[in-house]
Amino acid sequence: MVRIVVAMVIVALAATACNSPTPDGPLPPPPQPTTREALEAEIAQGGVPTVVNVWASWCLPCRSEAPLIASAAAGHPDVRFIGLNVRDDPSDAQAFMATYLADVEMDHVSDRSGRIPIDLGATSGVPVTFFYRADGSEAAVHLGIIDEPTMARLIDEIDR
Amino acid sequence: MEFSLLGAAAIAVAAFWAMLRFEAKRGNAAGCAVSLWDAGLTAAIGGLAIGRLVAMVQAGVSPLTEPGQILLVRSGVSTPAAAIGTLAIFAFLARSDLVAAADGIAPAALAGLAGWHAGCIVTGGCLGVETDLPWAWALDGSTLTRHPVELYAAILLTVAAIGLALWKAYGRPPLGAVTGLALAAAAGARLVTEPLRISLGGGPVWFYVVGVAIGLVVTIVSFEHRRRTLARSG
Repeated sequence: MVRIVVAMVIVALAATACNSPTPDGPLPPPPQPTTREALEAEIAQGGVPTVVNVWASWCLPCRSEAPLIASAAAGHPDVRFIGLNVRDDPSDAQAFMATYLADVEMDHVSDRSGRIPIDLGATSGVPVTFFYRADGSEAAVHLGIIDEPTMARLIDEIDR
Repeated sequence: MEFSLLGAAAIAVAAFWAMLRFEAKRGNAAGCAVSLWDAGLTAAIGGLAIGRLVAMVQAGVSPLTEPGQILLVRSGVSTPAAAIGTLAIFAFLARSDLVAAADGIAPAALAGLAGWHAGCIVTGGCLGVETDLPWAWALDGSTLTRHPVELYAAILLTVAAIGLALWKAYGRPPLGAVTGLALAAAAGARLVTEPLRISLGGGPVWFYVVGVAIGLVVTIVSFEHRRRTLARSG
């Protein structure tokens, strides 16, 4: 009985492995380099609540977090989502976007130095998520991987 | 690993342990053959892993190609899968004396769940929808006050856990009734607080409704079984 259960678990895991996301089709354009000033101006001038998610292709939690970012972006078309790619190779970033953030309504910019999140009040770690009100003022910074209730609550905080 | 979640888990385990100790001092009426502490913790950890695996697969992340992601519990756990997994593992571990063992552990399990919800104080995830009620509070830097919805759930579960423990100690519940009511209370606490939560896609309300229904059916069947047994013997 135990052997049957173990065999079924292995088969189930193997089947899910076949569904692993892999980039197919043309890659999206690489994130364009930005500066802190340019990013802040974009947020302030947009006139809409904005979520800035800091990610990198080498960041394991970012892969895990990506489906939540996609779900939040799909559920809140009135909120702008910006991906800030840090300390990354452009081609790796493109592959990450194609694999984990394909079809997500989201603009991506890059910061090779990784200074922008630190200058905005975060740490050097990723992922980090910033929440801005429509007037450009910062409402919250979430360090580390974000969970669904926290994402929902902080979006509710800025989207009014 | 998200360390604040470990804090919430520690509160849950402490509440589970405290209720088991409380019941042991008053004589856990079940007198079952399994160690409730071992079986409860094993089932909870196994259920959590199952819930995380299901959430990973639902998000399109393969456990084989990215096994390390199972540790990222904060990315999401499927509540139905975790609950069913926990119950199934416990049922397997306590299969020799299942109903008595379930009655034995039920109040402690509710206390553990209450501790997990109260752990929102550590994780910073207590708040739900906006309200002006005097006990509402706001996120840091915000003026919007909100329901501390996770604390509501913790209070409901604590009341249910203490009530069932006292019923076991001083009443004469039929075999299985405590388990049934605990199941209904666990699902019911989530069901009644769900409208006060904020989520991206809504919680699995259907699952909580099914949980309440199954719990009530188990309770009714246990009372009916005792009534028939007494009628036959008397």
